[in-house]
Amino acid sequence: MADDTELIKRAQAEDIDAFCTLAERYARRIHLLASHYCRNQQDAEDLSQEVWLKAYQALQSFRFDSSFYTWLRRITINAFLNHRRSGFFRRQGQTTAVQLMPLDSETLSESSLASSPENIYNKLLFDSVVDALSELTPSQRLAFLLRHYEGMSYEEIANAMNCSTGTVKKGVWRAITKLRARLSTESESQEALTSLANEY
Amino acid sequence: MHNCREVKERLTELILEGRSDSELAAELNTCAECRAEFDVVNATLRTTTRVRETAIPAETYWPGYHARLRDKLSHVQVRRRKENTGASFAPLRLCVNFLLRPVPVPLAAALLVFPLLGLLAFQSTRKPAAPQSVVVHVPVTVPVVQEKLVTRVVYRNRYVPSRTSKRTGADSRAENTFAKSQMPRPDDVPTLAGFKPAADVKLTVIKGGSPNER
Repeated sequence: MADDTELIKRAQAEDIDAFCTLAERYARRIHLLASHYCRNQQDAEDLSQEVWLKAYQALQSFRFDSSFYTWLRRITINAFLNHRRSGFFRRQGQTTAVQLMPLDSETLSESSLASSPENIYNKLLFDSVVDALSELTPSQRLAFLLRHYEGMSYEEIANAMNCSTGTVKKGVWRAITKLRARLSTESESQEALTSLANEY
Repeated sequence: MHNCREVKERLTELILEGRSDSELAAELNTCAECRAEFDVVNATLRTTTRVRETAIPAETYWPGYHARLRDKLSHVQVRRRKENTGASFAPLRLCVNFLLRPVPVPLAAALLVFPLLGLLAFQSTRKPAAPQSVVVHVPVTVPVVQEKLVTRVVYRNRYVPSRTSKRTGADSRAENTFAKSQMPRPDDVPTLAGFKPAADVKLTVIKGGSPNER
């Protein structure tokens, strides 16, 4: 299996296959961030694919100074923030309770919706997480994702997002507060549902 | 001294970084409120970690995702190649674009009319090429008009009565009688019978003359 360096060099020579192989390696991580950043699956796909298109166009500027994923993550952050500036997410209602997910047969056959009750519960929890994050500003949401899921330091995030460390810390703290409130409500309702189910 | 606010601020850092802080752990053991806060935040973050995999679509989703991505990349590549090819013809394209760019109607009309007017003006001022001239001497007889001097002396009445002056009826009657006496009688007017006028008439007007002057 070709390593990243070889694939990048081939992709820099406009080999789309090599670039697609790179995309297949890292697509899940980028999509994971996009899924938490956006409120629905279609937006997440659009945003993550936009990241890959930007990466392909900027690949000539990659000088192997850092790992490919570090470079790609920088592009991801910029793409997310530019989407924020362009008002991409503003059109999505903050109080929307029901989300329309793409339910094609391909997705349904193996999706978590068609799986075990545990997966269904996890899906509901995930929706709660996304709802809680959607109540934050895009910067706060992105700061939390980078800190919690990507393990970046506050300084790295502040540098990448062009803001102060204090702003990043505040954003992460606000995200945790929101999540805590939302998930505790969710767990209470889950306990109530469980007890109600046991009664019947 | 234990400060709950300070401990709570450090909790997030401790949990997110996953490191153990013995001093903080000791403080948590002494304060039930801080311990409860730690447990709640820890549970929240563990829950988000647990459900994060839910965000990743099923394996069957990815072939379609990559096919769509490949399609978009192909479009980008085609466009980039076109741009690269077009770059070599950039000056020519620039000229064509300059010539084909939309022009306001009055400007276009002016651009059409002014050259036409200029062409017409040039054509009108340009004289046709003269043929080689040949000098021919032809004797021409010019008739000389015989001059005849006719002199008619006209006397003008110098004493024209003023409109503003007040005169009596007797004065004006006397003046009219004098003027009539000065006018030439019809039988005194010289006639021009038998005179054939020449082409030119010479008229001499003598200003300031009087009846006693010739």
